[in-house]
Parts: sequence; C-alpha cells; structure tokens
Amino acid sequence: MAFKATSMSRNVLIASTLGLLCMGCAHHTRAVRGDDEPGLDSAAMSTGLDRRDLQRMLNENMEKMRTSAVVQRWMNENRPAVSVLPLKNETSEHIDGPLQALISDVETKLIEWGGVRVISLENQQDLLNEIRRQYSEGFDQSNIAHWGKQIGSRYFVTGKVYTTDERVGVQRRVQYYMFMQVIDVETGEILFQNKSNVTKAIVRD
Amino acid sequence: MLPCELPARSSERAGGRAVPLWLLSLFLCVGCASYSDKVRDARSALDAGRPRDAIATFNKRLGVETEKEVPDDIHGEKVLYLLERSVALQSVSDYALSSRDLEIADKQVEVLDFTHSTLDDISKFMFSDDSGPYQSPAYEKLMINTLNMINYLVRGDLNGSRVEARRLATMQQFINDSDPKHAGVGATGSYLAGFTFEKSREPSEALHFYDEALQHNTYATLIDPVAQLAKLDSYRTEKIKQMLASAPKDAPEIPADSGEILIVLGYGRVPAKIAERIPIGLALTLASSDLSPGNRAQADRLAAQGLVTWINFPTLPKPGPVRSVPTIQVDQRQIAPDGTVQVDALAVDAWRETKGKMIASAITRVITRVVAGEVTKKATGGGTFGFLASLGAQVALTATDTPDTRSWSTLPARLAVARVRVPAGKHVIDVSVSGERKQQTVELKPGGWAVVNLTVLR
Repeated sequence: MAFKATSMSRNVLIASTLGLLCMGCAHHTRAVRGDDEPGLDSAAMSTGLDRRDLQRMLNENMEKMRTSAVVQRWMNENRPAVSVLPLKNETSEHIDGPLQALISDVETKLIEWGGVRVISLENQQDLLNEIRRQYSEGFDQSNIAHWGKQIGSRYFVTGKVYTTDERVGVQRRVQYYMFMQVIDVETGEILFQNKSNVTKAIVRD
Repeated sequence: MLPCELPARSSERAGGRAVPLWLLSLFLCVGCASYSDKVRDARSALDAGRPRDAIATFNKRLGVETEKEVPDDIHGEKVLYLLERSVALQSVSDYALSSRDLEIADKQVEVLDFTHSTLDDISKFMFSDDSGPYQSPAYEKLMINTLNMINYLVRGDLNGSRVEARRLATMQQFINDSDPKHAGVGATGSYLAGFTFEKSREPSEALHFYDEALQHNTYATLIDPVAQLAKLDSYRTEKIKQMLASAPKDAPEIPADSGEILIVLGYGRVPAKIAERIPIGLALTLASSDLSPGNRAQADRLAAQGLVTWINFPTLPKPGPVRSVPTIQVDQRQIAPDGTVQVDALAVDAWRETKGKMIASAITRVITRVVAGEVTKKATGGGTFGFLASLGAQVALTATDTPDTRSWSTLPARLAVARVRVPAGKHVIDVSVSGERKQQTVELKPGGWAVVNLTVLR
C-alpha cells in the first residue's frame, strides 16, 4: 500500500511536471473555408474593421438615405447623375482597402434603388488619384464643383470614418463612426448626412 | 513518439525502469536556445554591414523563403522576428515590406499585451522568464509607429502616416498615464506626426504633436513651422510660447514657390539583452527590495547550505558609444541634424527599472527548483532512486530556465531629423552615417515636401 502511494505521488509529480514543460508543444494549423466553419466570419479578430462591421455601418447609413428627402428629390429629377467618392479614413487603423471596396457596394445599392444614373470613377483613374491626393493633403471644398463638372455628376455620395481610440489598463477600445453625406455638386450643400457606429475592443476575460 | 506521451507508458511499468524514460523526456522537452542566441547571426550580419543576410536569417526564423512572405501563424517569438526584420527592411529601403511587417507585429504586440495568463505566471515562476508571451516595453511600442511613419512619409503617403500618428497618440496617452518616465523615446515620433498633420493642413493636430515632441526634446527646426502653424490655430502651451518667442520678429513670409525636405536618420543599434550569471549574494543584494521576506529568508538559508550559488538572469548591457557623426548635404550645402534621440540610453534606463524584479524572479525560480528536488526525493522514497529523481528534476528545471533575452534588438540606437526649406525644383540630398552613403534626388512642387531616410544598423 505504501509502495502504491509513493508510486502514485511520483507519477502525479512526473506527469504534472511534464505537462507543464510540454505545454505549447502541440500546435496545429489548417486552412478553413468560411462556409464550413460556422461563426468564422462573425468572430472579431482585432480592433480593426472587418466585413461585418463595414457592412453593418454602411447598411444603416444607406437605409437612412433611402428614406430621406434627397432620394425623393432624385425621383423628381429624372435620373440625375450621381457619383460615389472615396470614403476618407480618419481612423487609427489601416482600412483604406476595405473603404475602397465599399464604393462598389454604395454604387450597387444606388443602382438597385433606381432613380439615378451612377457614374463610376473607376474609369477615370487620373481624377480618382487626384481626389485621393486631395484627401491626403487636406481637402479643399471648392474642388467639389470642379470635380462634378469633370465627371458630369450632379450629386456626390461620400463619407468618412473616424475613431475614438482608448487604451486603459488591460483593455483597448476603438469606437468607429461612419458619416455618409450627399453633396450637391453645384452649391456644395450637404443634402443628407447620417452617422452609424461600431465599437471594437480587446478585453481580458 | 512525443516526449509528452512517455509518462503514461512508464507508469505501467516498474518504478526503476521509468526513471530514464521520464528523464529523457524532460530533456527532450527542453534544450531551447535563448532569444539572443537565435538572433546572433543576424546581429553579426548587421555589424558587418550585410543587412540582406540579416533579413535572410529572420526569414529562416519566420519559416518563410523570402521577405515577401509572412508566416500564416504568427505566434511566440515570430512577432519579434517580424519587428527585427522590419527595421532591416527599412535599412535596405524596402519601405512597403517594412510597413507590412510593422503593422502585423503592431497588432500582435497589442494582443500579447492582453494575453498574459495565470498559466504564464506559473510557467515563469517554475521554468523560465521567456515561457510567457512577450510583453514589449513602452519604448518598443512607441518605436513601432515611429518607424512606420518614416516608411509612409518616404513614400509620400500622408494617409498611412496619419493612421500611424493616431496609433502613436493612443499609445503615448497610455504611456503618459501609466509609465510617464519612458515617454521621451516618442519625441521623434511626435515630430514626424506633427510634420504629417502640418502637411495634411491640419494645424491644430500638428501643433499638438509638435508640442509633445518639444516636451521631451529640443528641436531648433520647429521654430519656423510652429510660428506658421500658430497663425492658423490658437493652441498654446509653454513650449509653444517659447518657440514663438524665439522666432525672429521680422522673419519674411515663406515663399510660395518653395518646398521642404525632411531627412530622418536612424543609426547604430540598441544593445541586445544577454544572459548574465551572478553570485547569489550579489543577486540578493540587488533584488533586496523586490523579494518577499519569505523568499528572501529561504534564499538566504539555501545559500548558506551551499545549495544555491549562482543566479542566471537577462541583462541589457550599457550601450557602447555611437561614434558615427552623420553628415547631411542638400545641394552640397551642409545641414545639421536636429534633436537626436538616444534610443539606446532610453532602452537601458527602462531596463534598469525592471532589473531588480528580474533578479528576484530568477532567485524565486532557483528556490522552486531546489524545493522541487527535495519534494521529488521524498516522493520517490529517497535512496539511490530518490537521489537520481531529485537530481533529474533539478537538472531539467535548470535546463529550461533560459533567461528572457527577448527584445527588439535591431532598433536604431539614434534617431535624428534634419529639415530644410528650398526653392521648388530638383534637389540632391547626400547623407552619410556609419560608413553608408545615400544620394537621392527629389523634385519638389511649390509648397511640396519630401522625406528622405537613411537607416544604418551598425
């Protein structure tokens, strides 16, 4: 009996020591497909904006726009020309790529609604680069009319994304605000504006 | 067969036969070289002026063929290898890849900061300081965004630089609140952030960042920019008022057909952490205020019995002198570097403050090892088997105790800026430091700007 107890103690000691020493030894990675892994697209991976966040903010803004006075105005104007300008990144995250992808999403929604002719900037790369440069070096509102004439658009849909970024103790929180606007090219008047928001954080469980 | 599988099989057999198996498995589980050993080749390559070889070494450590690749799974020391590689890439002017590495590492460092678990504490307590996730010190966090701003500004990308500036501001705020003594290393970052917002025509943000830079350093090249920005924004602090007071009263307006060139230099390298072995008596003296009375009494007792004689712990050596003096010429006109930040000295200062804790932690682990040996001896019934088992446990635990020499060792020891206003048009910039020379021609539009970087990691 005494021998058994000693043997057990020894094995427990050995096993626990080895367990601790070997922890982290097993490490397997594999490629997965979103369709096969339920919840893969819904899990937050960082404080950055992912597709779900962007779609949520965009859909909220576009839904507000759809029921706003500016869309009624478009309906009465016999399909005015509308262009979507890049959304400005004023955040603490490198999300220029995802914001660029949103332009097509906004254009798609506008086409689906009908009532407007969408003129894409994709075929006017020089102008698009100039707009991006202007965004980068400080935006001059007076350029709106100039760009409108060049593109042949009556209205611009544009926007910007801001953040409030805080880090306290063992938590980091990033609050995102997406503003979307419709601007009258001739007057520079903002005809529609709406804000939607998303919060991302890293917290300790 | 995995070493971890061995005890289950050995438990089925007689105790005497199990000893060599589990001892063997313990040794198989250990034997890891310290971080400084793993990056020694890369550091030697940088010392010899062969940054491409250093990059190749980091690629190998990351498990990738070329620097164009990033491993699928970035865990453990791979975060540090990415940081190391990013600076080496900057030194060979591969700014896009350097940015990519810094951004991936930045996210990982952030997550690691919050990942510290009880299991990590146990591992550190039992085995080794480097068994837990890497927690980067304040100066390294600030350097991530500083170096990445250089990468973006050199490419004329104010958008990207603004993102980095905002990230820097969040981190500075956190460090100002939690660790204000070490915020000084962010001076160059604040300068670059101020420059970014000045050129983005956001005067208020620019003044805030320039003020932050002036809180930690002196920058003669900020007198004119601050004076110009103060005409556009009312933000004032003591430092800004001092700058405005030192600006010439009858200074001419900035010519509309002029532009600015900013040169950012990084040279030398911060010291790398190394393992140091010191006698227990000295260790007890150095860690006196960081040891609990119980641990101290136990360590004293074990030292008196001759059971503990030496302590292994990581240290950051005093930085060697950086003798190289940069020479900067714009169109053959000599320009003086401004506001040189001594990153190496700030790193060593930060390290000194944690030194006592690291030694105390090493002493605690030694006590744990001796106690584990004693427990094993008793549990195995003493005798020859007990002696062997006790010895095995102590040897295995000693072998796992690699001092935590993890640190971002490719950081430049010095960061300096030089700034000059020139007429619009073509200009030749000629920069030399630490035996390396870079000549670059830039073409400025009226009101334009250019940033030129030279990073030499030796």
